[in-house]
Amino acid sequence: MLIETRKLTHTYMPGTPFQVEALKDVSLKIRRGEFIGIIGETGSGKSTLVQHFNGLLKPSAGEILFKGRNIWGAEFNLRKLRSHVALLFQFPEQQLFEETVWKDVVFGPRNLGLSGEELDKRARYGLELVGLDYEAYRERSPFNLSGGEKRRVALAGVLAMKPEVIILDEPTAGMDPVGRRNLMQQIEKMHKEENLTVILVTHNMEDVSYLAEKIYIFSHGKMVLQGAPAEVFKSATALEEIGLNLPPLTDLLLKLKEKKQEMRTDLFSVEEAACEILYHFKKG
Amino acid sequence: MRSITLGHYLPGDSLLHRMDPRIKLLSLFILIAALFLIKTFLGFAIFCVFVLIVFFNAGLPWRYFLRGLKPIFYIVFFTITLHFLFTKGGRVYWHWGPLTVEEAGIYMGSFMTIRLVLLVITTLLITLTTSPIAFADGIEFLLRPFRRLGVPGHEIAMMMTIALRFIPTLMEEGVKIRNAQMARGADFETGNVFLRARSLVPLLVPLFISAFRRADELALAMEARCYRGGENRTKMRQLEATPLDYWGLVAVAGFTLALVCCGA
Repeated sequence: MLIETRKLTHTYMPGTPFQVEALKDVSLKIRRGEFIGIIGETGSGKSTLVQHFNGLLKPSAGEILFKGRNIWGAEFNLRKLRSHVALLFQFPEQQLFEETVWKDVVFGPRNLGLSGEELDKRARYGLELVGLDYEAYRERSPFNLSGGEKRRVALAGVLAMKPEVIILDEPTAGMDPVGRRNLMQQIEKMHKEENLTVILVTHNMEDVSYLAEKIYIFSHGKMVLQGAPAEVFKSATALEEIGLNLPPLTDLLLKLKEKKQEMRTDLFSVEEAACEILYHFKKG
Repeated sequence: MRSITLGHYLPGDSLLHRMDPRIKLLSLFILIAALFLIKTFLGFAIFCVFVLIVFFNAGLPWRYFLRGLKPIFYIVFFTITLHFLFTKGGRVYWHWGPLTVEEAGIYMGSFMTIRLVLLVITTLLITLTTSPIAFADGIEFLLRPFRRLGVPGHEIAMMMTIALRFIPTLMEEGVKIRNAQMARGADFETGNVFLRARSLVPLLVPLFISAFRRADELALAMEARCYRGGENRTKMRQLEATPLDYWGLVAVAGFTLALVCCGA
């Protein structure tokens, strides 16, 4: 088991009038190489949860284990953990600070104690993984890039640390549909080619439905549903109750199923769904 | 970074919370003046009892009281040390080379310390129970007589409101950026002074950029709503003092007058 939480609870500002219980008794397990989706509306505790995975937040109660070891145990090295479990925050372009793209991307690797040629290698690795040309971008200022490019540079910055797990908090927030699709394809590619464990936090069901192997649904700090996307989407009414919409495609398939009993509803790409619908309607 | 209590409003519904901010500010000025007029320890003791009664009546927890005193710890420390060592007069209690601790030094040191601590606690009473907006409204009103002299009361109040409004936002953002850089292996805690100062660059550059961006957006949004301050501007929330407020002011003034006149 790569990451495991046991009855994880987190309370913000305990003992003040501003006290909020953001997470309550969350227990989950994440395996190496999995693609996980964590879904919930704003304020459901999903961002709080993932900040526990790399030790940025300390649980108020419960424990969190990385490869079977409690990360808040006495001899556990949190900085080392952070090089294995990378976290990209929402609007990550805000964390850029260096004069050139190259310098910003190697900030992480440098903190790992790397130097010299290894830095070049890491920068090239990170930038190429997010689809930016190394030579063309390395000397540019990160502040003169477009929004989408900035976000990719920020992503390259964490990938250059060669983590085992990457946590992405709303990676496509505020992007146009094309940029969104490109970024998601990039994420899919690195999951497949580099066998990265990906944890994607979002409130957009579409993003995760066709990529995630397992999804966890959060509402008001509690995990309310879990399982493969097809299973979870079966409880459509439960999802609506907590204010989440089904992906449009699943919604359509479920409605068609009312007419055609044998219609499959576990398809998440437009092409597959189109084939399925055509098949049933040609059959009559 | 997260321990700034001064100016940290604690919502509540006590008498002090509901008091008109203008009256609260006036009372604060009177009380501060009193602190500088009090000449004896007995005076301070009476004043202290008064402040404590108000403090606990307002339902403010002890912790805030102590936390508010933290920022002035060094000032208090230096006041005591300097007075103890360098104010001369009266009996000599202790000496080492040119350094002596004399009676007048101990007297002045403790006197000044009590005055400083009471100053902060009295101010805390007001800042903890007044929302920043009410506070700014109060200031604006009290600055009105000085408009003839060219004091831009409204602009000052607006600047205060905006600054106070953005303190939590910027702190939140600071924490977020710090976390983001820590996730990239940044280390803000170890190393000598120079290393630590340099480690702040990845935190400060993004924070400044975002602060300027926010300022720009705010200015644009205000302009888009045709904001122009000062002359003839009316208010959505009109301040209205109740008889109870005036009685409060009379009570504070009476208390202060009695304290000062009785030679305390």
